[in-house]
Amino acid sequence: MALLHIAEPGQSAITHEQKLAVGIDLGTTNSLVATVSKDGASALPDDRGEASLASVVSYADPAKVVVGREALAAASEHPTDTLSSVKRFMGRGYADARDEAERSQYKLTNEDAGMVSFATSSGVVSPVQASAEILKTLRLRAQAALGGSVDGAVITVPAYFDEAQRQATKDAATVAGIPVLRLLNEPTAAAVAYGLESKGEGLTAVYDLGGGTFDISILHLHRDVFEVRATGGDTALGGDDFDNLIGDWILHELGSPKLKAGEHRTLVSLARAAKEALSDCAEVVIPLQALQLDTSELVLTQNRFDEMIKPLVKRTIQACRRAVRDAGLSPVDIENVVLVGGSTRVPLVRAAVEDYFQRKPLLGIDPDQVVAIGAAIQADILVGNRPEGELLLLDVIPLSLGIETMGGLVEKIVNRNTTIPVSRAQEFTTYKDGQTALAVHIVQGERELVSDSRSLARFELRGIPPMVAGAARILVSFQVDADGLLSVSAREETTGVQSSIVVKPSFGLSDEQIGSMLQASYSHAEEDKEARVLAELCVAAKQLLEGLAVALAADGDELLDSQEREALDAQMLRVEEQLTTGDAAVLRAVSDQLGRDSEAFAARRMDKSIRTALTGVTLDDVSEEIGE
Amino acid sequence: MASPDFQQNYFELFSVSREFDLSLALLSERFRHLQGQLHPDRYASKSAHEQRVAVQYSAFVNQAYTTLKDPLERALYMLELAGVSAEQVSAEKIDGGFLMEQMELREKIESIADMVDPETALEHLMSEIAQDTKNHEREFVEALEADVLNGAASACVKMQFLRKLHQEAEQIEAGLLN
Repeated sequence: MALLHIAEPGQSAITHEQKLAVGIDLGTTNSLVATVSKDGASALPDDRGEASLASVVSYADPAKVVVGREALAAASEHPTDTLSSVKRFMGRGYADARDEAERSQYKLTNEDAGMVSFATSSGVVSPVQASAEILKTLRLRAQAALGGSVDGAVITVPAYFDEAQRQATKDAATVAGIPVLRLLNEPTAAAVAYGLESKGEGLTAVYDLGGGTFDISILHLHRDVFEVRATGGDTALGGDDFDNLIGDWILHELGSPKLKAGEHRTLVSLARAAKEALSDCAEVVIPLQALQLDTSELVLTQNRFDEMIKPLVKRTIQACRRAVRDAGLSPVDIENVVLVGGSTRVPLVRAAVEDYFQRKPLLGIDPDQVVAIGAAIQADILVGNRPEGELLLLDVIPLSLGIETMGGLVEKIVNRNTTIPVSRAQEFTTYKDGQTALAVHIVQGERELVSDSRSLARFELRGIPPMVAGAARILVSFQVDADGLLSVSAREETTGVQSSIVVKPSFGLSDEQIGSMLQASYSHAEEDKEARVLAELCVAAKQLLEGLAVALAADGDELLDSQEREALDAQMLRVEEQLTTGDAAVLRAVSDQLGRDSEAFAARRMDKSIRTALTGVTLDDVSEEIGE
Repeated sequence: MASPDFQQNYFELFSVSREFDLSLALLSERFRHLQGQLHPDRYASKSAHEQRVAVQYSAFVNQAYTTLKDPLERALYMLELAGVSAEQVSAEKIDGGFLMEQMELREKIESIADMVDPETALEHLMSEIAQDTKNHEREFVEALEADVLNGAASACVKMQFLRKLHQEAEQIEAGLLN
């Protein structure tokens, strides 16, 4: 598919067959997979009819990894081999994760100063691998239900996930053999589900309190465009913290006895059950027989529970306040409030949200499924199953991006809540005479000092010719794509010396690491890999040729001179010749070359389409449309 | 690959007239319309090359929109189009009277946390800042219309001062709420 198919809405240049697209909510506590069928979007259940898959992976048996309900059942028996809430460890370093791990009783390893890993009976397991097991289970479920392999998935992440956490999620999908169409922010997914349901317009706040993360997003739905106006939150605040508070309280009431590892898990599940019961009752009796202590039960009242969690709930409301302000709004401007995540069933949470926004929240869709359903809808759009491509999402980056300057200070290059994709460039210079290299250190966060920010990557621009201090002009460009992932390049303007990097966060995985994980997961090779690669290349090359032919017929004469046209035709012929030779490497090379050769043409078509898009619409027309 | 080379300026890109008092509703309508054509999601199932082109174009449109949406950014951009660079703007001399006012406002902000009713005081102060900003926006428009570029530039600098002050007030407010 060579060129930008700038077809009129509804007429695609090539007819697509329906593709299998799914939305995946990879949650801290539970995960779901959903898809769009002719009856609408819905979550896919397992063979027992349950849509929720417990995000728990057991490595107790080195011969067999177990995911979900069965793994959860083994948690008390094999505490250090049963990984739950791994989402909280995604993209995190050892120092970040230590407190978290102490609570959960895991054995952490910190072998290569990279992302934290867990020591289990089946060897060292990274959070990415554990997440990949969950994703793989969901992929198999979807394939069984839909009868084919998954062509693409939209996977949701908390809006407030940073670069490292996003990259880790994408890596997990790669390891699980899932082609990722997009990472989508969870609150945005929820808004999509509601937006399409109600055909609503206006400003919507999505308050998403899950098991381990909190997100707030302010969105504006205007006809078919969803514009995220602001987002905020906390990646380490959720229902699990409520459970832990109850657990701490129980221990305190019992005079702080020392628990065995397995008992800690029991304590947490007792706490969770108590929390859930308190959503409907004023008080709950917590049975303690399982802990084998002197006290057999404790009574927890809703008032006491509210007191415990109040500071956490308050933190979420402060994040709401900041997001509303970042959007340039006040709470009364918000027309709809959507609640997402199981933790929004807690009465105090509901009351606090209602009180801040002065509005009753919408409740139409199951808060546990709404994210997966929104992701499925977006996946369906992205694979091209809806030729008119009805809905467009304009998302933002959650945290500011910048680089380190003299004195350990952060120079922000892209501010938080900037709509993506975004390209920004800023000029820097050398500070020493004869300086020939410049180190670029990329950081993320809102703070002024590098030491308070998250370090994402470092690279060096070398080969600057010696000049007096301040004479070099170094342009550092940031580009953030629609997934919120960053690439950075630096270029010395007077000489053209250039260097660039696709940011793999410090805690991310190297391509080799991903490769070896993939290898491991495909140890029983499902199919002849090489043959598949060639087949895929052939399909892609044919689509490229076909698309280019359509584009050339439409605009070739107008946008290309005869020389350019001849060059393109010649390269197309080369690709065609290679279609039958069966050499994957050659076919890839000529196809890639054709892709590059046709980029200028693509750019001209894009320009033309912009001009067309804006001509023929007079000022009056548009003013009328928007009701001025 | 060639980076997107739009010959048009941002006003032309959105087909809105090149004036400070533009219609934000119209601007955002045009913005959404353009993104509807250019956003990389529209090319999610297309080749990597097409997606790269789409990312660059879409980013360019975002940049243009962000600039025109914000009054201060818009004013600075209009000066840039008139041949006054950002460096020239920040080198503009500001009259002493304005600077005195700024010092007073700053002192007020710093002492606000100790007041009996700091929330209300802060609210008053913030609306005062907003009103001052509006006045300097008028000053900018008039100077630019009369082609007095250094006058327009100095109005921009004053708006920058007030922007900074407003941000500080916001931080204090956030502190009060905690």
